[in-house]
Formats: sequence, C-alpha cells, structure tokens
Amino acid sequence: MPSFPFQEDHDMIREAVKGWLSDWEDGGKTLHRVAKEGQGFDRTAWEGFARDQGMAGISIAEQYGGAGMGLLGRTVIMEETGYTLFSAPFFSTCVLGADMIEAFASEDDKADLLSKIASGDIIISVLDGRNQLTLKNGALSGVVSPATDAAHADLILVAAYDEDNNVALTGYSPNTAGLSVTPFASIDPTRSQAKVFFENVALSDGQAIGKTDNTAFSQILQIAHGALAAECVGGGQRCLDMTLDYANQRVQFGRQIGSFQSVKHKCADMFIALESARSASYFAASPDLDDDPVAKFEASLIAKNYAAEAYFKIAGDAIQMHGGIGFTWEYPLHYFFKRARGNRALFTSSEDGFQMLADQIGLAQNTTDISGE
Amino acid sequence: MSIREELNQWMLENLTGEFEQIRWRGGPGDEDSSPELRRAWEQKFGEAGWIGLQWPKEYGGRDLSLMDFVEFNEEYARHGGPGRAGHIGETLMAPTILAYGSEAQKERFLPGIKNGTELWCQGYSEPNAGSDLSNIKTKARLDGDSWVINGQKIWTSLAHESDWIFVIARAEEGSKGRDGLVFLLVELDQPGIEIRPIHQISGTAEFNEVYFTEAKTDATNMIGDVGEGWKIAMALLGFERGASTLGQQMMFQNELNLIIKTANENGRAKDPTLRRRIAEAHAGLKVMRFNALRMLNGTQDGSTSKEGYISKIFWATWHRDLGELAMDVIGADAEIIEDELSPLQKLFLFSRADTIYAGTNQIQRNIISERALGMPKEPRGSANG
Repeated sequence: MPSFPFQEDHDMIREAVKGWLSDWEDGGKTLHRVAKEGQGFDRTAWEGFARDQGMAGISIAEQYGGAGMGLLGRTVIMEETGYTLFSAPFFSTCVLGADMIEAFASEDDKADLLSKIASGDIIISVLDGRNQLTLKNGALSGVVSPATDAAHADLILVAAYDEDNNVALTGYSPNTAGLSVTPFASIDPTRSQAKVFFENVALSDGQAIGKTDNTAFSQILQIAHGALAAECVGGGQRCLDMTLDYANQRVQFGRQIGSFQSVKHKCADMFIALESARSASYFAASPDLDDDPVAKFEASLIAKNYAAEAYFKIAGDAIQMHGGIGFTWEYPLHYFFKRARGNRALFTSSEDGFQMLADQIGLAQNTTDISGE
Repeated sequence: MSIREELNQWMLENLTGEFEQIRWRGGPGDEDSSPELRRAWEQKFGEAGWIGLQWPKEYGGRDLSLMDFVEFNEEYARHGGPGRAGHIGETLMAPTILAYGSEAQKERFLPGIKNGTELWCQGYSEPNAGSDLSNIKTKARLDGDSWVINGQKIWTSLAHESDWIFVIARAEEGSKGRDGLVFLLVELDQPGIEIRPIHQISGTAEFNEVYFTEAKTDATNMIGDVGEGWKIAMALLGFERGASTLGQQMMFQNELNLIIKTANENGRAKDPTLRRRIAEAHAGLKVMRFNALRMLNGTQDGSTSKEGYISKIFWATWHRDLGELAMDVIGADAEIIEDELSPLQKLFLFSRADTIYAGTNQIQRNIISERALGMPKEPRGSANG
C-alpha cells in the first residue's frame, strides 16, 4: 500500500531517487568536496540527475515532456535532495522557474522553456527583484542579493515592477549588456549564491515572459516556496537519523547516551517537530487543494514557515545531542544546520511568513507593510 | 445521502428548543455543565440511531467506514453538538466489549450504550498509579458468584453522572505490575461505592475520587480472564486514538476563531508578536488535522503508525498554548470574572490538564522515543511493591 498521501508511482520514484542520491552524497564525502570547490554546485551530478535520471521533469506536465507527477512528485524529490543536500538547482529551475513559466508565460514560451526544463537542458535562476530593482526609462537598475543558482544559470528570470505597478517577468541571458553575476561564498557551502548587478538593463533586451498583478505573483511565488518545506523535512529526517545513530552507539557513564531520558526526550521533540513539518509539507502538496488557489497559497505559506522553523530547531538540537563532534567541520552535520538556517531566511523569512499568514486568517492589518505590496 | 448530509439534517431539526443552551457546551473543561439536559440529549441521539455507527450490523451498528465516521464527527462538531455524556461508553467501552467481551456481555451492555441510557466512566488511575499505571493497588477477590472490590480510583471523569465504571484491579494476591490484574464492569449505584468530586484549578469538578469498600459485581462482569486485565486495559486505550480527534479539532477551531475575533475587536490583532502567535496557532491546527489524516490513513488495522505517536502530545501542547494565548489576547481584563468564567478563561485553566491526563507529555516522550524511535528503554526501579 502506498504511503498516504502518495501513490505507488511516487513511492517507486522515491526509492530510485533515494538510492541515486545516497550514492552521490557518499556519507558526506561529496559534501566536503562541494564545499571545497566553493561553488555550491555539482554540474556533473546535476546533468546525471536531471537528464539521465529524468528527474528535472518530474512535475512538468506530460505535454511538455515531463512526468506530470504534480506537487506530490516534486515533494518526493525535494525531500530526498534535502536528505542529501544535493547541490544542484532543482528547486530554482524545476520548481520556481517552472512555476513562473507555467503560470505567466505564453503557450509558445511554455512549450519551449518547460520542455527544456523537463529534459534538463536549461538552468534557471528566479530573482524576485520587486523591492531591489527600480525601473527607469524602460531599464532595470539595482542589485539582487542573494541570487540562488544565478552563478551558473542559462536564464535569469527577473520579476520587477513595471510602469503600471504590475509585475513584469523578464528572462535574461547572463551575457546581457549591463547585467553581471558575481558568485559569493555562502555560509551554506552546498548551495550556490551570487549577487546579480543590474545597470540600466533594458527590458527590451530580455525575453518578456509575462505580466501579472502583484497578488497573483505573490501567490504563485509562495506556492513554489512551499516545496522548500519538503527539503526541510528531508534535512530534518537526516539530522534525526544521524542523532539516533550517534545516541545509540555513544557510551558515557557506562550506558548508551540514548538511554538517558534527557537525550530521549530531546529526540522525541525532534520527531514531533519533524512529523508535524512533514504533515504541513504533504498537506500543501495535496491534490485536494488543486482547485482552490487561495487554500493552496495558505497551505504553502504554512508549510514553508512551519517546516523551516522545525528544521532549524531539529538541526540545532542534533548538534547539541552530538556534543563536541557535532561542532567539527569533519562531521557533516553542520551542512544541514547551515541549510536549515538558510531556509528560514531565504525566499521570505519566517517572521514575514507568519505575518502574511496573520493577514490571511483575517487578523486586522499590521501598520507596517511586510508583504511587499 | 452521505452521512454528513444525513446528520446535518437531523441536527438542524433537533438541536433546537431546550437543547439550544447546550450547543458548544459540555466539552473537556465544561463536562459538568447541564448534566440532566446532556443525558436527555444522549438518549435522543441514541434513539435517532446515531450511536454505535461503526459497530457491526448484528449489534445494531451500520458498519460505517472510518472516513465516514470522521465526516460524521466533523459534522457533529460543526453544529456545536454538545459534549457527549456517553462518549466513554461509545468510544472506549463498546469497542472493548466488541473485541474481547462474551456474547452475553455484548447483549447485556451494548444496548444501554446504543440507546444512551447507560453512561460509563473509567476506573484506571489510583493515587499511586498515575504515570506508573501498572502499580495498581485496588483489590478484587472472587467470593462465590461475585467479585468483591476494595480500593480507590482517582481522576475518574464524570463518575458522578455515570451508571457503570470499568475497573482494573489486582486479583492475584502478591502479584506485581502488569500481572494478576482483572478488568471488571461495576455498577456505581451500590452501598460499597462512594464518589467524591475533586475541585479543580478551574473551580469546576468533572473529575472524582471513587472509593470501593466491599463493592460487588457479578462474576460474569469480567472481560477476558484473570491475568488479562492489563492487556484489555491497554487495548481499550488504543481505541482512544482515532476518529474523534477530528471532531475535537472543530472545537479547537471554534476556540481559535473566538480568539481571532477578540483580537480584532480589542485591537491586539495589530500587535506583531500576538499576530505571529495567532498565526502559529492557526498553522498548528492545520498541521494537527493533516497529522490525523495521515494517522487514520496509515493504519487500517487499528495499530499505531509511527507518526500516530505524536498525536496526544501535539494536541495537548497546542491546546495548552492556545489557552495562554487566549489570555494574552484578552489583556488585563482576562483577570476579571464577569458572572462566571468565560469560555476563554475556562480554556486557559482547564487546558493545564491536557498535558497531564491520558499520558503526561513526559510519558508521551518516553513512548515516542522507545516505540517510534526504538531508543533504549528507561531502566525501571525494582521497588515496585
């Protein structure tokens, strides 16, 4: 029987992906290599995963060459890439990029770009420049930072306000005049970060993907961000697994430390946080919400923020339960802790997220505007 | 017609007149309100055929599927259906009798539950058997055709409103822990039983102490055999988790709505800290709902799925936090009792019990770490006599 709310084909994909990613990660060795190389990106692995394994198209519609496995499909992938900190732009390209194109692009652009995503032939970085870029005489200026996966993107998809205060979505080649991408080291060395500088970059020099009002843009963006909840669940599961392994083998005072109640209760709390985050993540991906964009928006908001908070707590507790070894670079736990911290702040902070949720459930407006509207 | 529509129709027609006053009443923390009216409601509910829907048809049930029963409970809660005076009988006693009782016991006890005419309470905890439940001291001895019971139970919800109690007692002299126990059904209205209400933190009294002094029950009123008491007592607790949790969540939603309304009215909805706490409470309730759906869909055989172990500690902690949030949202006026405790004041005080009864948060963490995570067992003391 498949594990609710997944179907059998999801479970099969999970098995396949899990094995592949576990080989890639190699018990943390690969994470050390990626960190040493300093790009937060393993191109060879990405090409193997996206093209050969066909995972880039998991949630792209079948008409564009994808597997059409919907939000639950990418939930599986994000969970497993989170478990291994797979250093590749699945989220940027196949979730954020694909969702933006799916929602706002013309049929021709969809046919072109979505099939490129599905076949693993394009890397996309999505920049929300609404608050960081200004439009003057038809050209964008400003800096977008941090810009996840921009350093190796083939297409930089920028959202910025146009003259009518709508959101214009424009696709740029990284070679566009006035646009420069500068890679930066990230505190989370398994994720690629950069700053993207715009100096009078003409809208007309890019590919006009689509235009929408701010609310619709925020909704689609948030639903895409919801997929990060699954990454948090995967990472949280890994932290808990590592902690249980350690607690069951480490002996102090003549006993496994996992037999001490203070350690057991901490692990129980980690499990409670993890399984709750898992529920939030699966709920946001549930097909029951497909016909109700507002409910889906809210569920995604809950999932991302709830799971990001849970992941950070779990990862912090995991370091504490490991004692000194958890503080070393050698032991790979810190990479997860750093990813957890990043997920709390990137793509809307938890604080803003809960304030947006407060709006959503009908609490009278706060005086400070946090939604970017 | 779906079960939801069926019940909706009936509730619209019947939760009216004198019963209006017990709408949204009688839940946890409020179980001592309008006992007579709630007993009448239970009988009306039973007469309409709403009790025992999940039972097999041969015992008057409808063999209702789990998901239909979930819908039924949600619909009941959506109408603000009164806290059910017969809930212990229907959700705990009946499934236990169906699983372990003899034919004669099924014939004797199921109709009273189904008709809402016999109400049940639970005799598990004792002054020295709380978290360490197997440390039972209450004694039962067989005397001819009767069991004779001596001892004391405590924290017995609704004993003063009930007709029968199920009791775990020690039947084998000198036995310890989980051995030598019996599971007995005992009528409360007899000279050997004295019930004393416990006045609680909330000023109300839905819990009791029950004293047994040469109390008697017929020898046939034992479920299972001598020595099987622990097994049956634990099986009964297994029935506690399940479909009713989603109905309970509708009550929680109602409380949260009241908090949101209060915050909007008194302006505290604009306070960023309170906004965040309320938003987190909302998120927690949604998570709780999906936790329950995962749990209900995960195990068709009634065993507990791994994630099912978080259910109790999650809702209890969430609800206790909600009580604290409610008071903070009201502000300084939360100190003032107008006439009687308001629903939110009751919530604040009674929810302190949530993280204690039915397995404290500390016991829950032990259970999670040992059963869901497979961690080493807590070393147990030997001086358990």
